[in-house]
Amino acid sequence: MEEKVAKLDQHRLTEYLKQRMPHAREHRVVGLKRLSGGSSRETYAFDLEWSEGGEKRTRPMIGRRDPTGGLLKTEREREFRVIAAMHRAGLKVPEPLFLELDASVMDRPFFIMDRAPGRTGMGAFPAAEAESTRAKVADDFLSELARLQSLDYRECGLEILGPPKNLEDPARVQAAHWSEVYERDRMGEHYPILSAAFAWLKANPVVTDRVVIVHGDYRSGNYLYDENGIIAMLDWELAHLGDPMEDLGWASMMFWGRDELAGGLMEREAFYRMYEQKTGHRVDRKRLFFYQVLGNAKMAVICLSGIRDFVEGRTSDSVMPFLELLMPRLFEDLANQLRLV
Amino acid sequence: MLRPTLNEVISGMQRTIMEALLPELSSPYAQGQAMSAILILSHAAMALESAPAYDAAEIKDLRATFAALKRLGNKHISKKSGLRGALAGAIGASAKNPPDRRAMEAAMAAFATAVALGDADESVARHVRGYIRRNLERSLNLLGNSLPTA
Repeated sequence: MEEKVAKLDQHRLTEYLKQRMPHAREHRVVGLKRLSGGSSRETYAFDLEWSEGGEKRTRPMIGRRDPTGGLLKTEREREFRVIAAMHRAGLKVPEPLFLELDASVMDRPFFIMDRAPGRTGMGAFPAAEAESTRAKVADDFLSELARLQSLDYRECGLEILGPPKNLEDPARVQAAHWSEVYERDRMGEHYPILSAAFAWLKANPVVTDRVVIVHGDYRSGNYLYDENGIIAMLDWELAHLGDPMEDLGWASMMFWGRDELAGGLMEREAFYRMYEQKTGHRVDRKRLFFYQVLGNAKMAVICLSGIRDFVEGRTSDSVMPFLELLMPRLFEDLANQLRLV
Repeated sequence: MLRPTLNEVISGMQRTIMEALLPELSSPYAQGQAMSAILILSHAAMALESAPAYDAAEIKDLRATFAALKRLGNKHISKKSGLRGALAGAIGASAKNPPDRRAMEAAMAAFATAVALGDADESVARHVRGYIRRNLERSLNLLGNSLPTA
């Protein structure tokens, strides 16, 4: 039990970094602390100090370790490789540094990446920010999405994400996947609106016009920013190949901002127009709607997964029980979308 | 009445975390977890008071909705939709003592699915939509209209 809940060990982390950086001397991990958020991984911040060529150096770093339980069941190798590919492609992401799959090193697999500066909100872009900051972040948000969707996954070496067999596959695969997670994590309960949503998604799959790299959680709250715009897009653990409307639909869901601003960034129709300008592709309203229904259902299922892990003792994160409080809004949006009210 | 009551225990645990534990915690992460625990205990205290009434209203509404659907008769519920079986199961579940809420909600899931897919008669859909609207109102009253924090 003690090992299961132990926090990242400073001494072991230092020894590990010594091995990974044999050219350096006098390694020292400073200010190791766990961060809130990032519920799919335990996230730690620290500075690494070392000397090299007679010079003292310091680098801010982030360690992301597999959790004992949590919101999402994803593979850290996949996430690390995606971030590495995005970094090579020049997208705004933290530089990935080391991936360790051997669980004996730090109790569970983990990876280390650069710690980008900047701040982040929890959900919608903070209303208190300056209008000029909001405008720059909104522009960057869609510019980065356009760049992501312009990448060829083969050239990025991301065949590991599992190319779809055809253009009908992405919608079917996503609906089937999240429906399976729902069946697994509903703990015997029945949620009529959610059951209806998955039936609708399976009965109404859309056909994409192209296959792109999908971030899978592209939204306000998952980037670092300052007054000059976005510094880094975070949380790539749900990345996969699919329909470009999936990320656009998720980012503009009502759930991330109750008012008319998509993600708290920009009025929705203006948001879609800017997307079209930046990508050169039309927003397909039918596919967008499908992925917004999927998005609400997926978010509700992610909440159920976190609640189940808490109830069954796989996580002690005290944020998990709060996920129940998010469900009524998701159900309300789904009921409106599916004309169930 | 046995003292402390559950509400008094919860209030006391909140004070324990706030006054005894929090000042000893140096890690911001641990402090955040402690604050979340205090808040979730507040939610638990509220749920202890309001959840029984919520549950009773849910069961009453489900029972009334299925009774109304039954009164519509087979003319409105086609055999091939599979809803006749779901309705019979729900009526049986609602007659149990205590009522089998899970079975009733499973049947409501079948009806909601039929409405979402456009497979339900309009008079059936009206009853199902009425229930879902009231269910959402009760849920929002119980749990609030929270902003995402994940």
